[in-house]
Amino acid sequence: MIDRRLQDDLVDILGPGGVWSHPADRRTYECDGLTTQRVMPGLVVLPRTTEEVVAVVRACAAAGVPIVPRGAGSGLSAGALPQAEGVLIGLARMRDICAVDPANRQMTVQAGVTTAEVNRAAAPFGLYYAPDPSSGIVCTLGGNVAENSGGAHCLKYGFTSNHVLALEVVLADGEVVRLGSAAPDLPGYDLRGAFVGSEGTMGIVTEVTVRLLRRPEAVRTLVADFESPSAAGAAVSGLVAAGIVPAAVEMIDNLAIQACEDAVGAGFSRSAGAVLIVELDGVPGDVEAEFAAAGAICVDAGSTHIRVAADAEERALIWAGRKAAFAAIGRLSPNYVVQDGVIPRGRLPEVLDSIGRRSREAGMRVANVFHAGDGNLHPLVLYDGSREGEQERALRLSIDIIELCVEYGGSISGEHGIGLEKACSMSRMFSQDDLEVMQRVRRAFDPAGRCNPGKIFPTPGLCGERSYRAGPLESADGDAQP
Amino acid sequence: MILDAGPAPATVRPTSLAEAREAVAREGALLFRGGGTKLDWGSTPTRVDRVVDTTGLSGIREWNAADMTAVVRAGTSLARLQAELAAARQWLAVDPALGPGEAATLGGVFAADDGGPRRLRFGSIRNLVIGLVFVLSDGTVARCGGRVIKNVAGYDVAKLFCGSLGTLGLIAEITVRLHPLPESGVTVRIDAPAEGASALLPEILAAPLEPVALDWAEDALWIRFQGRAAGVEAQAAVVRDLAHNRGLAVEELQGTTEADRWSSLVAGLAGQPGETVVRGSTVPDQFGSAVEALRRAAEDAGVRATMHSHAGLGLHTARLSGGDALAHAAAVADWRRRLANLGGHAVVRRRLPGVEAAVSVFGPDPSGIDVMRRLKALFDPAGRCAPGRFVGGI
Repeated sequence: MIDRRLQDDLVDILGPGGVWSHPADRRTYECDGLTTQRVMPGLVVLPRTTEEVVAVVRACAAAGVPIVPRGAGSGLSAGALPQAEGVLIGLARMRDICAVDPANRQMTVQAGVTTAEVNRAAAPFGLYYAPDPSSGIVCTLGGNVAENSGGAHCLKYGFTSNHVLALEVVLADGEVVRLGSAAPDLPGYDLRGAFVGSEGTMGIVTEVTVRLLRRPEAVRTLVADFESPSAAGAAVSGLVAAGIVPAAVEMIDNLAIQACEDAVGAGFSRSAGAVLIVELDGVPGDVEAEFAAAGAICVDAGSTHIRVAADAEERALIWAGRKAAFAAIGRLSPNYVVQDGVIPRGRLPEVLDSIGRRSREAGMRVANVFHAGDGNLHPLVLYDGSREGEQERALRLSIDIIELCVEYGGSISGEHGIGLEKACSMSRMFSQDDLEVMQRVRRAFDPAGRCNPGKIFPTPGLCGERSYRAGPLESADGDAQP
Repeated sequence: MILDAGPAPATVRPTSLAEAREAVAREGALLFRGGGTKLDWGSTPTRVDRVVDTTGLSGIREWNAADMTAVVRAGTSLARLQAELAAARQWLAVDPALGPGEAATLGGVFAADDGGPRRLRFGSIRNLVIGLVFVLSDGTVARCGGRVIKNVAGYDVAKLFCGSLGTLGLIAEITVRLHPLPESGVTVRIDAPAEGASALLPEILAAPLEPVALDWAEDALWIRFQGRAAGVEAQAAVVRDLAHNRGLAVEELQGTTEADRWSSLVAGLAGQPGETVVRGSTVPDQFGSAVEALRRAAEDAGVRATMHSHAGLGLHTARLSGGDALAHAAAVADWRRRLANLGGHAVVRRRLPGVEAAVSVFGPDPSGIDVMRRLKALFDPAGRCAPGRFVGGI
């Protein structure tokens, strides 16, 4: 619980409506999208302005209380997991669109504005915001910045980091800094670049200036059926080899297809071992040439059926089907864990085989949904939480799968972040020195370690004794791969 | 230029990561040097006891062509890297000036965050680097990022090294994302002095086009398209029509002529001995004001000025010539003040001796300077990596 005097100070700053202390209210915030991890926050505050955030942060600093920022709470790695003795700062009331500059294709918004709202405000100018996390309807720009969010379309257009021009950030001591600028190449270290993806551990983002893109002239989308995910993987390799950079390449395996079809009825073939959604966009001449080539590559890789979206409506239906995948899995299983890992694109068949083997050994079903174009896997482990010990086994399997990605030269997260969930797995990817240098970066921003403590980095208390990856010197020429 | 003063410092040329660590960890103030093409960028270091030449850390360590990534030692010449990648019709999508003898190295380009016209399409090299191995002055050898194009595990420490001018540590190895070489390309060159260009630019930006470069130099707009032949041709036709509507003369460039013209334009960005080069920056729609601001600043200071602008990005490289160092400094200060009024900024690169004494290389300290100072102190506690070369005397 939070000291009564701090609570009174916070009520003075925000008014009674901006401070939630009743247990029933605080319980709403005890987890983010990763519901297996729960901690009741000491207190919840909901500021509306940067000035209020500054005042809150100063009061917490004076009281020596840790702070945990939270956007929409749609994160999937317990990055917004509260501290029992800390203050959870919810940014969801900071919903102003501050400025739209169509001539320079920029927009400045408060941190609590959702990705969908940015796109709505950009649409009248024929512009859009490229990163498109599947949770776009609810997730906030502040959360996107914290997680360096991606989505299906970052293969061609890049992640949040590539689209954030400037940030207003409140540091842990209450100082307000502007990182980056509307004009490019502000002199100095790229603090904006370091801050994006820092998962709330460097400060609280209050305002974001993003780059917008013009809607492409032409968009073409196809859905290709394959007998197996491996065959679909071969088509992905074919696209890469042909020098085609699609706007998106998504793969859904048979189990996930069933779930998507039950939920949305997007028309994916239930009998397919896997479907590949390939979307190309750009100028019509380029798109037509490459779309024909992409279709041929799918056929060469053994596609049994190709469906071409006839119009924008059908395209939207296909995407609705894909984006519903996570939630739809709930139709197949009482509980599931979503994971997020990355592998080099050429190794998809081997990794899928290995995931299949582990799934059988563990006796638990694994559905697979991939951003195949950039090697970003989202295995979903299905389980029944009412059975003794099954949740633990499912979590173990999901972590095994993700650590497998590292063995193949990949990463333990492509877009969901490390949070608390995968802090222990960081030792598989990094040496103690690698992580110690990251801690130096953190201390430059937050010397006292008050922002979202306990996340990202493995600690003996959380992880027990872990063996770390060897450093670059010790690993000689390399990173052994299976 | 910074090596001219006083006795030449010793140079060491490590050929392995272990040797690099040894070279960096020994005491003394350090200057990291790749091809030596941008040694005059940044402020003059207050002290250099030893130059660490990175060109011995050379070559592609691992090239995963199927995944379009490569692990490259930092001292590899960019020209050589591109030549090797071209064998599989791939490239690292950066096109900065390569300097005399095309000596620029990958590490140097990254440490200076240098780029060229096609940054419009592919972004700065900051967006293409997916992993790093580096050596800190306390002997720590560490990595960040990974080898896959999508990865959010841990902090993006590589961003801090991008543009750091060797003030945080030695960059030893860089993992990059590659792009396919385009199948076809064309450049439309439109005769357009500043005013005409400034009027035409919004039309080009509003048209349904995806140029890879959109520059203004030598009193002309240069619009480059790359991709599939059909798309490239159709886009060039749209631009031709826009120019004809305004009665502007158009030239189309293709093949080696096109490549050569761009090479010479890009080489010009580095400037010549006797010149002062300033990189100005505004939001893109302030192009006309930036040109006019430079014209006035140069006129008032009594120097000649030419500008090459990546107009689609809002990056403007000014070259000052004629007049003495004080006149150059006055022009820099005046242009910087005018750009600041437009929300922009200006950084001095190459300069005449004496300019630096009269005008700051970086201009006013940016917001977050205290975080930058703490970062420097944590990465380089003894302040041995190019001391004084960076923003705010860092």
